[in-house]
Amino acid sequence: MILEKDNAARCARMAKIRLTPAETALYEDQMKELFAWVEQLSAVDTSAVKESAAIRAAYLRPDTPVTDESLAQTLVGQFSDQKDHCVKVKKVL
Amino acid sequence: MRTVFDIAEAVRNGTLSAREAVLESLRKIKELNPQINAFVEVWPEEALKRAEEIDARLAKGEKLGPLAGVTVGIKDNILYKGHKATCCSKMLANYVAPYNATVVEKLMAADAVIVGRTNMDEFAMGSSNQTSIYGPAHNPVDFDRVPGGSSGGSAAAVAAGMVPAALGTDTGGSVRQPASFCGIVGIKPGYGRISRYGVVAFSSGADQVGVLAADVKSAALMLEVLCGRDKNDSTSLEEPVPAFSRSFTADIRGLKVGMPNGFLDNLGQEVKEKIEAAAEKLKQLGAELVAVDLPHAKYSAPCYYIITSAEASSNLARFDGIRYGYNDKNAKDLTEQYELDRAPFGLEVKKRIIIGSTALRAENYKACYLQAVKVRELIKQDFSAAFKKVDVILTPTSPTTAFTLGAHKDNPLAVYLADLYTCQGNIGGLAGISVPCGNDKQGLPVGLQFYGPILQEEKILNAAYHFEKAL
Repeated sequence: MILEKDNAARCARMAKIRLTPAETALYEDQMKELFAWVEQLSAVDTSAVKESAAIRAAYLRPDTPVTDESLAQTLVGQFSDQKDHCVKVKKVL
Repeated sequence: MRTVFDIAEAVRNGTLSAREAVLESLRKIKELNPQINAFVEVWPEEALKRAEEIDARLAKGEKLGPLAGVTVGIKDNILYKGHKATCCSKMLANYVAPYNATVVEKLMAADAVIVGRTNMDEFAMGSSNQTSIYGPAHNPVDFDRVPGGSSGGSAAAVAAGMVPAALGTDTGGSVRQPASFCGIVGIKPGYGRISRYGVVAFSSGADQVGVLAADVKSAALMLEVLCGRDKNDSTSLEEPVPAFSRSFTADIRGLKVGMPNGFLDNLGQEVKEKIEAAAEKLKQLGAELVAVDLPHAKYSAPCYYIITSAEASSNLARFDGIRYGYNDKNAKDLTEQYELDRAPFGLEVKKRIIIGSTALRAENYKACYLQAVKVRELIKQDFSAAFKKVDVILTPTSPTTAFTLGAHKDNPLAVYLADLYTCQGNIGGLAGISVPCGNDKQGLPVGLQFYGPILQEEKILNAAYHFEKAL
């Protein structure tokens, strides 16, 4: 059963969500209840459903270059820090 | 309030100016919005300027579009260039749309006038419009009650007569359930009918733009304008769009209406009586009621919550403070950067991201996510089989009428369960419409829902139109 070994704090950590102790306490019961409710799906016989049919085919549009200079400028303009048509972002690694 | 049809016709034939139509909307918004909180921002000068342009074009002899002078509210997750689009979240509190959503382009090409952005549950996650950073929207029928959600502001704006129509989005019932709670019409077309380009994604396999309007004919006209293939949305369908507003038949004699076995078993008495009376009314109109089996439909809600939360955990990963969203300057490492940047998300959004990423984790994937998508296939197969026997399927829109603000706060599962009838449509990619079918003893509206086969929206519009006329 999902969350048998897990708890809300660990699930949140794995999802890169920081919770306050109050939020952790709130989620603990709610998530246990939710995953117990979802557990009913395991009783459904899905042996006749192929995985490939269940996961929808990816829809991809043609890989055609599009030039829209004004949109590019608008998008770049939304960043507070920019230089030479490049955006400057915080170093994260 | 005049309907979409009446306004557009009056503006086109010159008996009403677009300016007058806009002023009427703005007056209503000014009068009622402080109590209802349906609009989170209104653009009066811009709307009036656009109305004047429309009037000037008519004066020059130009032919106007099908929505001439019709004022429309758009949900706060739809991009309108140069205007804020915040998803009613602190995360996007200062985000300004750099381009127009395709639905916005289509409204403007049809000469509609967008007057403002409407309130919603944060990132469209909720059924009561109580998770918005702007505070809850109130139900115009009873201000102490919720208007439903997540498109609660759009529904409340139409029900209060502020605008004749509004756009919402529907991932699990977010157009149809608020329509039901507020006593108006709400339609979600089949998956792929309307482009989602420029609509902030929540669950890409289920999200659809929908319409809220006071009557079925108006909803049909709006839908006609909005549907169609868009090269910017690869999931939009390359299918012809019928003239929905002119596809009504003279009557519904011989229409086969599916009544799913067991669907009314767990309903409250008052809603049940209204749905039974509605079925009887359809019978009097000449429709044939046919029992259908949807054996897996009862699994729709848990299936929906796993799949959409999984997709949300992926879609909302883009709000990492680098491209979009809040950027915290105090992080010491990458993990902390992510955690701090995502702090502005509200409780419901955080919860769904956690549920989604938990369901997708390697150790849970097969038992949880994959099982849910397999059950989704069985639900779709149930509906396909049923539509071989019937033209439309009838269900309640919601098991209850509008609840009081703050109710179910400590019992989110009860709220999730209430999506049972609507989320089936998103799981199956079906078109669904909610139409009022009377009020309960407290005067609160009850909604009736019709489902139709994929790419046959005209069937549900027709059934709803004749039911609405007969009520």
